[in-house]
Amino acid sequence: MSGGRLRLSVNGRPTELADVPPEERLLDTVRWRLGLKGTKEGCRTGECGACTVLRDGHAVLSCLLLARDADGAAITTIEGVRSDPVGERVRAAFESAGALQCGYCTPGFVMALTGLLREAGRSTPLDELLEDLGGNLCRCTGYSTIVRAARAAREGLP
Amino acid sequence: MAPFELVAPATPDEAIAELGALGASDAVPLAGGTDLLFDLDDGRLAPRRVVSLRRLPWQTLDWNGPILTVGSTLPLRRLETDPEVRTRLPGLYTAVRAVGSVALRHQATLGGNLGRSAPASDLVPMLLALDAEIDLVGPQGARTVPVDQFVIGSRRTALRPAELIRSVRFPEPRPSAYLWQRVRPFRDISQMAVAVAYSPARARWRVAVAGFPPRPLLVPEVEDALGPVLPPARSDLDRGAHVLSTRAPIVGDKRASEAYRRQIVRPLLERAVRRASGEKAGS
Amino acid sequence: MSATARPDGAVKLAGAAVYGEDLDVPGMLWGALVLAPVAHGRRLSVDLSPARALPGVVAIGAADVAGLVDGGTGDPERPPFPSERVSYLQQPVAAVAAPTRSLAREAARAVRISVEPLPVATDLDDLFPEWPREKIEDPARVAAHVHARRGDVDGAFRDSATVVAETYRTASVHQVALEPHACVAEVTDGGWRVRTSTQSPFGAREDTASILGIPEAALVVEGTWVGGGFGGKGAAFLEPYALLLARAAGRPVRLALSYAEEFRLGRTTLPAVVRMETAVNAGEITARRVRLLLDVGTSLPGRDFATGYAIGFLLGPYRAPAFEVEGYAVRTNKPPFGPHRAPFAPQAAFVVESHLAAVARAAGIDPATFKARHLWREGDRTPFGQRVLPFGLASAFESARALAARWRSEAPPGQGVGIGLGFWSTSTGAGGEARVVLSPTELVILQGEREIGSGSVVVGLAQVAARRSGLPVEQVRVEYRDSAGAPFDAGVFGSRTVGALGRAVDAALVSLLARLGERLGSPGPVTLAVLDGEIVAVHGSGRRRVAELLTPAETAAGGLAADGKHYGRSGEIDESVVLDGAFYAFTDFTGAAHVAQVEVDPQTGSVRVLRYAAFHDAGVVVDLPSARAQVEGGVAMGLGAALTEEAIWSDDGRLENAGLVDYRIPTLREVPPIEVHFLEGFPGAGPFGAKGLGEPPIIPVPATIAAAVRDAAGAHVRELPLAPERVARELKFR
Repeated sequence: MSGGRLRLSVNGRPTELADVPPEERLLDTVRWRLGLKGTKEGCRTGECGACTVLRDGHAVLSCLLLARDADGAAITTIEGVRSDPVGERVRAAFESAGALQCGYCTPGFVMALTGLLREAGRSTPLDELLEDLGGNLCRCTGYSTIVRAARAAREGLP
Repeated sequence: MAPFELVAPATPDEAIAELGALGASDAVPLAGGTDLLFDLDDGRLAPRRVVSLRRLPWQTLDWNGPILTVGSTLPLRRLETDPEVRTRLPGLYTAVRAVGSVALRHQATLGGNLGRSAPASDLVPMLLALDAEIDLVGPQGARTVPVDQFVIGSRRTALRPAELIRSVRFPEPRPSAYLWQRVRPFRDISQMAVAVAYSPARARWRVAVAGFPPRPLLVPEVEDALGPVLPPARSDLDRGAHVLSTRAPIVGDKRASEAYRRQIVRPLLERAVRRASGEKAGS
Repeated sequence: MSATARPDGAVKLAGAAVYGEDLDVPGMLWGALVLAPVAHGRRLSVDLSPARALPGVVAIGAADVAGLVDGGTGDPERPPFPSERVSYLQQPVAAVAAPTRSLAREAARAVRISVEPLPVATDLDDLFPEWPREKIEDPARVAAHVHARRGDVDGAFRDSATVVAETYRTASVHQVALEPHACVAEVTDGGWRVRTSTQSPFGAREDTASILGIPEAALVVEGTWVGGGFGGKGAAFLEPYALLLARAAGRPVRLALSYAEEFRLGRTTLPAVVRMETAVNAGEITARRVRLLLDVGTSLPGRDFATGYAIGFLLGPYRAPAFEVEGYAVRTNKPPFGPHRAPFAPQAAFVVESHLAAVARAAGIDPATFKARHLWREGDRTPFGQRVLPFGLASAFESARALAARWRSEAPPGQGVGIGLGFWSTSTGAGGEARVVLSPTELVILQGEREIGSGSVVVGLAQVAARRSGLPVEQVRVEYRDSAGAPFDAGVFGSRTVGALGRAVDAALVSLLARLGERLGSPGPVTLAVLDGEIVAVHGSGRRRVAELLTPAETAAGGLAADGKHYGRSGEIDESVVLDGAFYAFTDFTGAAHVAQVEVDPQTGSVRVLRYAAFHDAGVVVDLPSARAQVEGGVAMGLGAALTEEAIWSDDGRLENAGLVDYRIPTLREVPPIEVHFLEGFPGAGPFGAKGLGEPPIIPVPATIAAAVRDAAGAHVRELPLAPERVARELKFR
């Protein structure tokens, strides 16, 4: 990774970036270099989950990742979630359940749930799935509609 | 954040060389980064070089008969989703899931947690009760250190300059449990935590407590009191809980008073031992 | 679209909604605030030269402000930067802007600050250990004093059989909107312009203009999508700094808070100590005395609203023939007290509900019976003389009691069930205006508020228009305009959006429909409908396509426009009871009774909420899914205040838990299933009888949890939050 060159696949598109400083977070790369502002900056300390993206299919906190340490990874953000069948199912479940209010935590929730359902489908018991979703904070909804969306998205998965 | 160079060597030898070429405060290893980045951000650490371990072949999990060996850079999420870990080392499963969130555990590693040895670590007390052994590799070669000699203080370990954690070994499956008391039950720092495990090979309970300064620690007097059997006799469990509550070097801090910690450590131990015993003990 | 889907769902789920934090303008600089290193100090001196020496960095301090606003004179009590004294830790003392975020941080750190530290005041009990036995005589400490009395209070206390006196303490809680404050400002020959995440574009404009000393007309505020407000984004905050930086730099400047700054600079509910005394004779309250010490932080003279307001909530929705209330707003070295979803009302409800239950028990009466006997009913007068309008609290309480009895019969030992009550007064006094435009295919509401999440703008206003016009709600679109293009509105706060701005929308529609009626030659009611994708006006059995009713000029302008406004009246205080200070007049009454079932760990004091029910008088519910969601969210937020949330200051004025690990908002696992019920038959002053629902759901929650904890474990906890160690100290069933 000499010269600060960073190669990523972002939402299925090969992306090569030059002069990415070593200390830059993936969150900032995605938001400010690539202009994908759907990934939200909340606490920037890994506690709120608003910045969740998928790295090679797994949910990660983009605020706690050095962008260049993700060299070679496939990154999926909320802007690309519809091209993943599980992601689209989750997105649609949130929309249909009205599982959002201010919407700031929403992309992170969608990415986190997409990651969880991609990992295990329906094999994870609902209780455990919801526990695993507890890494994302929401201040508006009281989680009720989000739980409804999660349950709906899980239904019908293999 | 002061500027640093980021390197990602492909082999352990290269990684050790990258670290060794500079002084300990000038070169730091990077595993998941979920803890290290805070120190880089606010300047507590200002290395010239950060050595990413992500390309090292250490993202492994191997069962060799009773022995589990976990590569130091394996994301914690992969440890918790191993079905045998869940059944054969249930306390470890619980402790891993007590760390952060799923997304964080896709990044954070066992080696990182040990190497950074945060005083609030949920893993160190469980590793103590499981008699985990830490395999290290450094400029002088390889060595193995038991976890209770590895974590020697808050943010202090037995790591030598340019030495890396290669893997963590668990000698045997153990009935085990990890319990905590927190203001917020999920995703909080524990006011008090208790890790217990029963070693069939040694016919002995292992008990570690955590959540207060300076670091998680084993409490051999409590282990003595619990006796050699699983589940322990009701009277032995009572005695163990009493010894833990009255004699362990528990102190108060901003998260809880000493009196409250001594009060709650009793039920935490009793419940942890019961859980490890399959809810049978002392009932 | 499903019944629960929201009109803003698709854009937010696409990641395409632009929040303040997302603003990105070509050529913009990154701003950062320079923060005071001590909580209290004098002889402040700020040397900006090290920052200015960095490439591309602009730095401004107190001395630069007058020059940047061309000699304008801002509010002398609210200068952007202090010139001599520092009054809270991390108070902004200067600001910088730089081409990158990291350089801005570096520049802020490079600024040299010298300040002579002074003793720091943070804790009410430390400041006034002998209160209320000894009076407070230190005028420099008291930002405001309120005092009121009705009847012979001393005589009633002397002559009553039962007197209960208790002291309660409540913690500071934060809004914790997930999006930090953020804005982008630009100053050109055309004027001052700021795009910002705000609950009140017009409020931010008025405030900012006043702070800077520029005419309001010279400033345009454009709201972005708002990532949660909860009161914290109501007034100007970062906007003046960003504008000054932009002016100094001659380039757009982005200014956003880090999350730690969000906590440390945030203006929110601060701690309080409350002394409650109640006298009872023959089962009836004869007199009440309420005394309050409210921490208002770095209060600004003449701007304290909180104390008189808090006192009203501490009397609660209960009748008392005689009462005396006295409150002090106490200055400490913290950021100023600011609005937080029903500021202090949840804390007050916890105090009054817990106290009156203790009073009832002392008098040998069932607490619920005692409370029901004293509850306000429609037509009663409040302590400050407002007539109680239709008010469903007593009915909500009855429903809650029935459910609580059932839950209690099902609860095993170690579990308990509690009820808490709360009331709110929709802020109908603040006015607003709206314009509606009817085209052949849609009805557009033009207005100046951004959606903050509750749905009150994008769903609530649309539902009002749909209901008045007869159109399906999908045919109504709410369009936002900046402060230069929108009619005035006071802001999205106080549960007023549907209640007050909704009335303006309704008035605009009534006017629009009347004009259509004239064109149809029908003086009677006209409604709208959709036929083959086109809007038609219907009167009696006749109908005409809207397209045929518009003049060519209207068609060219996008449709037929009509304006509406609503400026409600604030209630009036009965001044005969007021001895000192200002009190708050309640107007449109809304109430809620909540029920919780909890399990208390007998050894650790941990409280787990197992199930929850909320009975609300929300007047006529305009949109059921949004109303339900609003209650669910409010309850969850209240659970945080009840159980885990507490901002903790050290003796040197440092907020110790300025992050989401130690400031503990509920996660998905702490929120139980929540039943939501709405009571009908108590119309409010809003359109079609609607009442606001922003604040009411959070208000009864701490009281409800405290009652349930007492029921489960005998623990009468007089301090919020009910954290495990605090509960463990009061456990009675060990």
